[in-house]
Amino acid sequence: MNRDSFRRRSRAWGRRQSYSFFSSLGTLLSHRLGTLMTVLVLGIAMALPIGLYVTVSNLRTLDLQREQWGTITVFLNSEAAEAQVQELAKLINLDHQASVEAISPGQGMEQFREASGFGQTLDLFEDNPLPWVLLVTPRLSDGEDLGEAVARLDAWLQERAEVDLVQIDFKWLQRLAGLLELGQALVSVLSVMFSLAVVVVVANTIRLDVASRAEEIEVLSLVGAGNGFIRQPFLYSGFWYGLLGAMLALVLFNLGLYYLQQPLERLLDSYGNQFEVVNIGGSGLVLIVFAGGFLGFLGAWVSVQRYLRQLRKSGMLGRL
Amino acid sequence: MITFEQVSKRYESGAMALREVSFHLEPGEMVFLTGHSGAGKSTLLRLILMLEKATRGQVIVDGRNLSKTQSRQAPRVRRRIGMIFQDHKLLNDKTVFDNVSLPLMIAGERYPDIRKKVRAALDKVGLSGKEKSWPMRLSGGEQQRVGIARAIVGMPPVLLADEPTGNLDPELSRELFGLFRQLNSQGVTVLVASHDLALIRSMRQRVLVLAQGKLADDISGSDIAGPAA
Repeated sequence: MNRDSFRRRSRAWGRRQSYSFFSSLGTLLSHRLGTLMTVLVLGIAMALPIGLYVTVSNLRTLDLQREQWGTITVFLNSEAAEAQVQELAKLINLDHQASVEAISPGQGMEQFREASGFGQTLDLFEDNPLPWVLLVTPRLSDGEDLGEAVARLDAWLQERAEVDLVQIDFKWLQRLAGLLELGQALVSVLSVMFSLAVVVVVANTIRLDVASRAEEIEVLSLVGAGNGFIRQPFLYSGFWYGLLGAMLALVLFNLGLYYLQQPLERLLDSYGNQFEVVNIGGSGLVLIVFAGGFLGFLGAWVSVQRYLRQLRKSGMLGRL
Repeated sequence: MITFEQVSKRYESGAMALREVSFHLEPGEMVFLTGHSGAGKSTLLRLILMLEKATRGQVIVDGRNLSKTQSRQAPRVRRRIGMIFQDHKLLNDKTVFDNVSLPLMIAGERYPDIRKKVRAALDKVGLSGKEKSWPMRLSGGEQQRVGIARAIVGMPPVLLADEPTGNLDPELSRELFGLFRQLNSQGVTVLVASHDLALIRSMRQRVLVLAQGKLADDISGSDIAGPAA
């Protein structure tokens, strides 16, 4: 084959592709309702794992700041005087290499007033009922385990007479870490399952499409269309289904996120973090959309191969 | 252009559709194929179109031995043949233009060329201006001519027709055969299967007669008596 004929053939190939491309779009548009239903199903199916993925990956960014999460809240006796408190704080700081923040009953009340919004209601108290509070954050030396450091501090603090209650967020955090691991595994499992669902839904849609266009396939075959030409529009349809489904999934997901964002940030800020929900970035969006397209393409491929073979076996496209 | 050498075709059901049929068509010839229904006319055309494979013997079309051609080459073979069907085989959800342009789309031609050629083909069959019509809205004769336009739009060297006048009245049938003659005069090899003997006789062309799968007669045009068309 010389270069000229190669160029001619590749141009013809390109034109055939563009014909299939537009004819597949035309088919989708002419069956608007059916297309919409399929895309809706795909969108919902894909929105679920996307949502879970973003949730889990956001929670994981929290977990990275572990030292801060090791903070122990120490509630002191109501009798403890300021001097006693300061001494205890110094002791913890020097003997246990932990940073200490002392919150006086007055500061505590101020913070509570701001956060709770009770405002003037709190003025009804004659005395401030809040005790002194110490926020103790262990500093980790090299290789030291946060869990052990927290446990040691806890044991020591429990012995002190001034201490009323030691509250550790860390256990809760360990549980959260465990849950996050589970969540991540769940994301993987769900992604695989829902990807499979996308493939199956598209395959089924394309199967019906092939069946309803059996006559057209016969005519195409009679006037000299090869396998590729017959198959191509269906593959493009599958691609479009997947692509549109993924786009809809992202829209649904963002709507959900918009609705959930404020309560979620409030919840996480109550754990002392300036927290902002990290959404999927630009490259992630592109990846998801094309992954959807690819899955749709795959479903269409499986379906078309199978049902074209059936048509051929039935003798409709000739017996060779 | 088309050569059959001792071709037999036995269907899976066991029925013998063709028995040792041999004939040869020169390029540019116009030939009619006749016989009762079930005599094997359709099978013979299907063999040329690679819709069936011969059980025995050789089918050679345009220099290619179809018995030795792989089935995935069938589309390539079909693109060199224009086929006209009794039931038209038009796509009713596509316009006349889209129907006629199919072979050119498959060949991957440029859109401006496609438009030009489709218009020329419709012109030739007397359907200019019907590009945007829907096949269902056309009369039987017009639908048949859309089918012919699709068969000739790619200018194939061979034109086959299977009972093209099946659903047409005598007047339209005569017109249609006139159109075949006109295409033939432009160098296309034409093979028409028909059981309309009176009409065939009036054409004064070579006639192959099939009977129970055998080639019963091969009559040259000059041997045909009767009134000319």
